[in-house]
Amino acid sequence: MNLFLTLRSRVILYLITISGLSVSFLSDSQSKVTLLEQESIELLEQYCFDCHDEETKKGNFDLSNLLDEEDHDGSLIFENLITSRMPPADKKQPSSTQRKTLLDWLSKRQNSKTINSYRRISRHEFVHSVNDLLGVKLDLTRNIPEDRGTHDFDSDRKILLTKEMLSSYFSAADEMLEFALPEKGFPQERIWITNKIKDSHDTYNIYTRNYQEGILFSWTRANNGNNYSFFYDNFDPPVKGWYELTFDAKKLGDFEEDISVLVFSGKYYFADDRPQPQRLLDVISLSNREVKSHTIRAFLHPGENVSVHCYSKHTFRKKKGDQGAYIKQLKAKGPLVDNWPPKTYQKLFKGLDIDFTSRKPIETSTFQTKLKAIGGSLSVSSYQVGMEKEKMQDGSNRTFWHSQFSPTVAKPPHFVVLKNPAKKEINGLSYTKWSGGNGNGRVKSYSIYLSDDAQSWGNPVLEGKVDITRSYEQPILFPKKTKKKYIKFLVTDAVSLDGKSIASIGKLDVITSLPQTIPTSEISLLSRSKKDLKKVIWQFAEKAFSSNITEDELAPYYEVSLNSFEGHGDFVMAAKAGFKAVICSHRFLLAPGEHSNKSYKIASDLSRVLWLSVPDQELLNLSKTEKFTTQTLTEQINRMLKDEKSLRMINSFCSQWLNLRSFNKVNPSLKLYPNYNDLLNHYLPIETEKYLNHLIQENLPISYLIDSDFSFLNQRLAQHYGIDGIIGQKIRKVSFSPESPRGGLLTMGSVLKVTADGFDTSPILRGAWVSKNIAGNTLSPPPENVKAIEPEHGKATTLREQIEQHKENKTCYACHKSIDPYGFALENFDATGQWRTKYRIKKPHNGTFQFRLEGYYHLGGEVDASGEIATHKFDGVFGLKKILLSDHRKVAYNFTKKFFEYTNGYKPNLKERLHLFKLIPENAKECRIKDLITKVLLYSLREGEE
Amino acid sequence: MRNISRKEFLKVGAALPLAMNSLSLSAKGKEKPSPRRIIFINNSLGFYEPYFFPKKRGNLSTSDYLKDMKAKEKMTVFQNFFHPGMETSNHDSEKSFLTGTPNPESSNFVNGTSLDQLLAKEMGKDTRFPFLNFSIYDRGWGCSWNDRGSAIPPMHDEEKIFEMLFEEEDLRSKQQQLENDQNILDCLRRDLKQLRGQGSDPGKLNNYKAVIGELETRLRHEKFWLETKKPKVEKSLSEDKQFEFSTKVKNLFELAKLAFQTDSTRVITFSMDWIYGAIKVPGATGGWHTLSHHGGRKDVITKLSQIEIDVLKHFNNFLFELDQIKEGNGTLLDHTTVVMGSNFGDSSNHTCNNLPMIVAGGGYQHESHTVLEKPTPLCNLYLELLHKHNMDFGNFGSSKKDMNLLKS
Repeated sequence: MNLFLTLRSRVILYLITISGLSVSFLSDSQSKVTLLEQESIELLEQYCFDCHDEETKKGNFDLSNLLDEEDHDGSLIFENLITSRMPPADKKQPSSTQRKTLLDWLSKRQNSKTINSYRRISRHEFVHSVNDLLGVKLDLTRNIPEDRGTHDFDSDRKILLTKEMLSSYFSAADEMLEFALPEKGFPQERIWITNKIKDSHDTYNIYTRNYQEGILFSWTRANNGNNYSFFYDNFDPPVKGWYELTFDAKKLGDFEEDISVLVFSGKYYFADDRPQPQRLLDVISLSNREVKSHTIRAFLHPGENVSVHCYSKHTFRKKKGDQGAYIKQLKAKGPLVDNWPPKTYQKLFKGLDIDFTSRKPIETSTFQTKLKAIGGSLSVSSYQVGMEKEKMQDGSNRTFWHSQFSPTVAKPPHFVVLKNPAKKEINGLSYTKWSGGNGNGRVKSYSIYLSDDAQSWGNPVLEGKVDITRSYEQPILFPKKTKKKYIKFLVTDAVSLDGKSIASIGKLDVITSLPQTIPTSEISLLSRSKKDLKKVIWQFAEKAFSSNITEDELAPYYEVSLNSFEGHGDFVMAAKAGFKAVICSHRFLLAPGEHSNKSYKIASDLSRVLWLSVPDQELLNLSKTEKFTTQTLTEQINRMLKDEKSLRMINSFCSQWLNLRSFNKVNPSLKLYPNYNDLLNHYLPIETEKYLNHLIQENLPISYLIDSDFSFLNQRLAQHYGIDGIIGQKIRKVSFSPESPRGGLLTMGSVLKVTADGFDTSPILRGAWVSKNIAGNTLSPPPENVKAIEPEHGKATTLREQIEQHKENKTCYACHKSIDPYGFALENFDATGQWRTKYRIKKPHNGTFQFRLEGYYHLGGEVDASGEIATHKFDGVFGLKKILLSDHRKVAYNFTKKFFEYTNGYKPNLKERLHLFKLIPENAKECRIKDLITKVLLYSLREGEE
Repeated sequence: MRNISRKEFLKVGAALPLAMNSLSLSAKGKEKPSPRRIIFINNSLGFYEPYFFPKKRGNLSTSDYLKDMKAKEKMTVFQNFFHPGMETSNHDSEKSFLTGTPNPESSNFVNGTSLDQLLAKEMGKDTRFPFLNFSIYDRGWGCSWNDRGSAIPPMHDEEKIFEMLFEEEDLRSKQQQLENDQNILDCLRRDLKQLRGQGSDPGKLNNYKAVIGELETRLRHEKFWLETKKPKVEKSLSEDKQFEFSTKVKNLFELAKLAFQTDSTRVITFSMDWIYGAIKVPGATGGWHTLSHHGGRKDVITKLSQIEIDVLKHFNNFLFELDQIKEGNGTLLDHTTVVMGSNFGDSSNHTCNNLPMIVAGGGYQHESHTVLEKPTPLCNLYLELLHKHNMDFGNFGSSKKDMNLLKS
């Protein structure tokens, strides 16, 4: 039986009941629902059933059967009604009161799904909160597993805490506490100065050269397309922490644009052109023609080195001429502690006396080998003038020792003897070849001898080979450690291109396990009082929990500290134990926590949403003294948005709402998009965040999401978008000319890249993204057993035809008419977001890929970006924007729903959606982004309040 | 019980007889049954069926993909398994691969407990790690789902997995840490009790209580193993970033092998998924997901098959290496049931019928290629695997019956 009949008969039954029998059984609300239901069914009959009944089933949508289904919650009908998508424009329209009646009815009949009344905090919220509580900046997000599952928002309430997550919070807490309050004191700040780079693949040496006192870099893109970078030698961060990296550098070259120096940190694994495991720290934009200091701050880990890659479109593989980035030297300073005594102590142990020694950076500017550090020296069998033994000890393998070859060639054996006068324990040798030359003289195999007197050497303790292709350090470990005074490295075979016996070595050093003590600045607390300890934990817990807590409530947490204190008597360690209990507790990890009053809860929710963190003192003070009024709350939201901590929200919301979290998972094809590079990849998402932040800060109308005449660009982004005259990599507000298709989110490279797969653009994927994230169409999931259509520009002429097949199948078209057109409108943008009028068709190419600036493509068919959305025809992106802008309420409604979900961790139910819709001003110009955010927040925070 | 060391623990007699067994594995002379292991591997984007299934019934050499498998005599390809209840687009069907829970895309979906977790409850008691689960990248979920239907985040970082399995920890600080953590758990429990009295949200408290209970069990387990040295193995992981995906798969298989070989764990689940962006394998670069929607086009299938061949190459190698390791009266493969398959039958069309499934090793009499007469719930096989490991919880997922497909 269909709904139409079911409901109608029910109504009839009610009418009989009401008229014929006593009505006293029916309460007021029941009869209201009934009347509402009756009215609604009549409206459905009037406006919907013509097309969507059992027989016609337009768009494969049988409304009557759908409503009859037990678990159907009506949201699809609701969404189509509220956004005026249905009834279609060319059909009879219900009045706004009638529409409201239907919406009311649908929202009331929705079974309120059981949504958890709480959620776990996300890993990002955990890390930010703990950082703020401790006064440090340590990004441990990657140590905690991704916790969003398949949901869009990190905050999703369906995801419950698991043992594995809790366990990773335990470990993260340990690491963060140890970083904030190191058990063995704060490592001393040191200074390193270096102008040596570790060697790289020989072939790439030609792209750097010694210049004046340092090195001149040009844009090196390896043959495989890798953005090749050069690692600095002689600076290894001894501990993890923040470092200041100062590059004394200048730009060389007769062109206007800045040269960019990309600074990475990572491990130097491969002495060839494979990408090294490394991450981009920051970019230095060089405009200065005189050497100037450029400083960045970066978090570094032991085992990582700093590397640089220079980029300018003018300096590609520049072999000769003075063009590129000249870097005189790198000065590294760290690990930095912001204040002394450190902020962490001042923050966590407020009011307690701190005992500390003074802290000054130690200069370690001169490079020292380990051999020198143990008082050793070396001697060689022979040497060529200018290639003396010292060249093995200068920290560079571009300079080298060479056995004598002129005027006469020294006869073998060729060897190096290392002297260990203090008889320190030595594990082995570290060998590095000379990089450069034609390979002649490179060591292939060796023998190691030990001796006490440099006279009797006995048998070799080790014979082995070195890898002649590797340019980086190769450890040669002895079978067992030795304290002998003399070690001989005898070359038993070397490359000989001309039949002569010669040998060369770039670097040679000893490997010793002498404990490398890292000097620390000492700091301790004078207090030994349990009362102080209790106070410290109390203060911390109140901040972390965003609540007043009683002594009883504190007791379990304090006891953890007390146990620890009584065990070893160390005040700071005891406090750390208590802190850990606090940040691993349900009060902290599950939201809402336990709050002594409603204001604390509001403060806690608010700071979690806007700062991904715990409330600051101002919020706590307000919570303590007053109940938040709408006015004070609005003021606080304003204040909090102005605080730079709100950038976390921008970042988080962009990565979740716009799916920019997947941005780095897409790598554009170098054959099709040879100009795409790390630098561009770095700035594209920044543009989006800066833009959204600007819209919020300036409280601009919601229409700016769709279109505007400006964005936030720099030199590299402007190049990408084909805009001239933007010099330097500092991001700034840039205006677009009226002819520019740019402006708004849809035309940003970040969005256009993340909605493609790096090769071809898919109107379906892009369309689905726009439909879901911007236009806010509610679509049912595709049915099973439908052949998928995927784009293929190789046959660009047929791409549209392929997708237009959707039209032929009613089942497909029901949804795809609200997907594909959006994607088609963006077809003028390639997979990296660049404007195009013709498709790029990949040329068939076999064999090893060789990077080239012109790529491997030819131009194919013309792009056709036309389409039709709900009877509105358009030619391209301009037309699409116009259609989207025609109803600001739809865009705003979608935005509020997304922000609601971000805030609350679940999709708003129909009642809540009705409310959200009411928040949207009728006048498009008055529909402003910050206002909407504020209203959604106020509504969410006051939920449950009268 | 908190402060009892492993030795005392054994003396008290609380340890299971099986634990004794595994602990004295190194002692020579005595014939001990080799422990049984199991690994589940899910290739979430499936395999192109015409290349995967043998063209001639019963003959693996007629499968384009499997013709080079070295352990052909120790494996069976099953045809015609399916998961019922996959009627929509099945984007999330991977969630149900090891649970068989229907309608993973529905908004009210709550997953069941996955097969590996049920098995790990028994099989995981006697090893340092009750189970391991891997994924290709950090995404927080895969095929392992706990008692409450929550995803168990897989590990994806080879270095960290290696460190966890084989690198020695500082005994004293670890001990200290375990004790501290136990103190913290006690504290949290006390606080929960306190809150319960004050009328806090019971759902919230229960969730947390369950989690800390499990963590406590885990701590006890760790404490039990504290004084046993981790096995020492040569680090044999590849660092090749050129074929990052390929390297990852290879390394994770290598770690699985090492973990089994050293009896560090007996249950492993490996969820293979790389849905975003392009991957590079020898012979092809492309978006795996995009390619998987090949729509029957030959050139796309050729590229896709390069990825699938690469995955199977590492799988082949994994089986081969397990089979090279002698253990007891057979090989490690004979004592390891390897289940490899996919949640998708035809990922181009998002259907979950005719799932590509391989069972290898485990000491079964393999029949190389078994074509089931009619579509059969995959959970029948899962039920059988439970029974084969002496576990019986009634039905599993959509299972109808144990079909005894694997003959001992």
